[in-house]
Amino acid sequence: MSDSGEFRGRAASALKLGVAMACGALALSPGDAAPASRSPEKIYRSTCGYCHGAHVGPIIRGRALPPEMIFQFVRTGPGPMPAFRQTEITDAELKSLAQWINKSEADPKEFGE
Amino acid sequence: MSEITRRDIMRAGIHGGAIAATMAASQAVASPLDGPRILPAHLDADRFAAAVKELRAIVGTEWVFADPESTLPYRKSFTPDPRGEHIPSGAVAPASVEQVQAILKVANKYKLPLWTVSTGKNMGYGCATPASTGQMILDLKRMNRIIEIDAELGTALVEPGVTYQDLHDYIAEHDLPYWIDVPTVGPIVSPLGNTLERGVGYTPYGDHFFMQCGMEVVLADGTVVRTGMGSVKNSTTWQAFKWGYGPYVDGIFTQSNFGVVTKLGFWLMPKPPAFKPFMVRHGEMADVSKIVDAMRPFRMNNLIPNVVLMMGAAYQLAMFHRRAEIWDKPESVPDEVIRDFARKKGLGMWNTYFALYGTDEIINAVEPIVRGAFEASGGEVLTEKEMGGNLWFEHHKNLMSGKLTLEEKGIMRWRGGGMVCFAPVAPAKGAETSQQTALAKQILGKYGLDYNVAYAIGGRELHHLVFILYDKSDPAEEKKADDCIREMVALFGERGWASYRTGVNTMDLVARQYGEANRELNARLKQALDPNHILSPGKQGIL
Repeated sequence: MSDSGEFRGRAASALKLGVAMACGALALSPGDAAPASRSPEKIYRSTCGYCHGAHVGPIIRGRALPPEMIFQFVRTGPGPMPAFRQTEITDAELKSLAQWINKSEADPKEFGE
Repeated sequence: MSEITRRDIMRAGIHGGAIAATMAASQAVASPLDGPRILPAHLDADRFAAAVKELRAIVGTEWVFADPESTLPYRKSFTPDPRGEHIPSGAVAPASVEQVQAILKVANKYKLPLWTVSTGKNMGYGCATPASTGQMILDLKRMNRIIEIDAELGTALVEPGVTYQDLHDYIAEHDLPYWIDVPTVGPIVSPLGNTLERGVGYTPYGDHFFMQCGMEVVLADGTVVRTGMGSVKNSTTWQAFKWGYGPYVDGIFTQSNFGVVTKLGFWLMPKPPAFKPFMVRHGEMADVSKIVDAMRPFRMNNLIPNVVLMMGAAYQLAMFHRRAEIWDKPESVPDEVIRDFARKKGLGMWNTYFALYGTDEIINAVEPIVRGAFEASGGEVLTEKEMGGNLWFEHHKNLMSGKLTLEEKGIMRWRGGGMVCFAPVAPAKGAETSQQTALAKQILGKYGLDYNVAYAIGGRELHHLVFILYDKSDPAEEKKADDCIREMVALFGERGWASYRTGVNTMDLVARQYGEANRELNARLKQALDPNHILSPGKQGIL
């Protein structure tokens, strides 16, 4: 999956990116090499942490939640939780995230149920 | 499919071991494959399989989701679907314009209907689910490049999968002097998707389609069109000038199914030297009329420049509280119960949030004028000095300065995960707005649902955002919510109040209210641009 952060990294020195590059460079290429995965910390900070431990969703860090349950929750979105698809969080990223949450310490700065 | 809810987790205690035992006991993960997957209409299993094979050759096997398990995340929706009318058959996720073109070729060949989404988080309106069962989701999330940010002009050009979070991070990383303008689901949704749905945010750049400038569209036959100045050879003004030359066509690609928008340009708000948020607190439901009449001139003359939110107390409370905390009966929560609980939280029955932007001198000059008008309406005009640290005030301060938050998604916990938004337009006239409030409360009361609403105040109109919150795990509740929104659409329609946007379950119903001539025009455009009707059939009632 192409990640905009990864893309931005390649173009960090240039503020303007040519539109022609955007439209012409990507050819039909099944099975494009997967870009570098985002870290669990980054995914937690930019997605999970907006609800969990932020008044909206239950605290999930420091509870040794089973990774397989986290995986299932993310993919199905039980109750008030949205589902997140492989195009948003790849299976590999999600496995790492689930492990990280399982092993994470509670963050005293988080609040909620 | 049986599920473990987050409440089950909390009941199970804080340890993972206890939760695992609970999971096993409930067989919650027994099978994500429960229930039949429904294929597109008029496409048998063999033809569907052949189409899937060709799609896999285009995007790679891992980016076609055509079995029940991998399709499951695309089925998630908060809106009611009691008859199973909005179940996708699968999904395909291209990474480029060229792949989109190739996918459309396959779709035309097999008459495979494709429901296009950018990030698929259209929360109150159906998420990624299609207008009719069997459509395959065209998931554009992998197309997620910020193509250009012009630091001098303050313009952006992005692909569908770019989120407001991505945009925020880019601006922060490059220390650019601009704000973004976010909807309430900003971190996980895209500027392109929200703009195409004609969504709003809460800074002076809150009308997203108004701030849009140029787009790239792939038509059903694969033709790539750039609107406005974008089709001029060597153009340097694609994101600078909206109107281009000849007919202005950008509008026909919003809330429509006439093409697949693969790039969107829009303007960024220069970061103001000074910003001051306000909250006006009114104590009675009936005050809605006075608030609207007090606000109207300031929105018309732009002394108050941002999209203002007039938040009902029940909506505000639902952000951080559950219904069961204040009311245990099936009937709608009475106003006095809401009022009393809200008061304990520093809230009124209506809480109106606006901000002033510019320099300290400008704000100091304008503040006494608006303060006087709202105090005359019976409101308490409050600022950071009185409300700093209040959860709700801080939330709206963040929204009005383009900061990212998902706190309003807490409302889905009010009754158990179900939510659908009914969004009629009201003129910015106090008496008529008051009538809308009365009618909404009357219909919701019939179903035992609560008046969880926000009014988003534009220049001369208001989006009356009525969030029907219900328990989605209870089939009877789901049917009730579905019946309720249909009745709301019908009865508001009889008064001439139609929705600006609606969920997948009521798209056709609302389209009928805009009249046959309008529908016929849309049908003619559709036939001309997409003769096989492969693109999002049923979107906004256009087949």
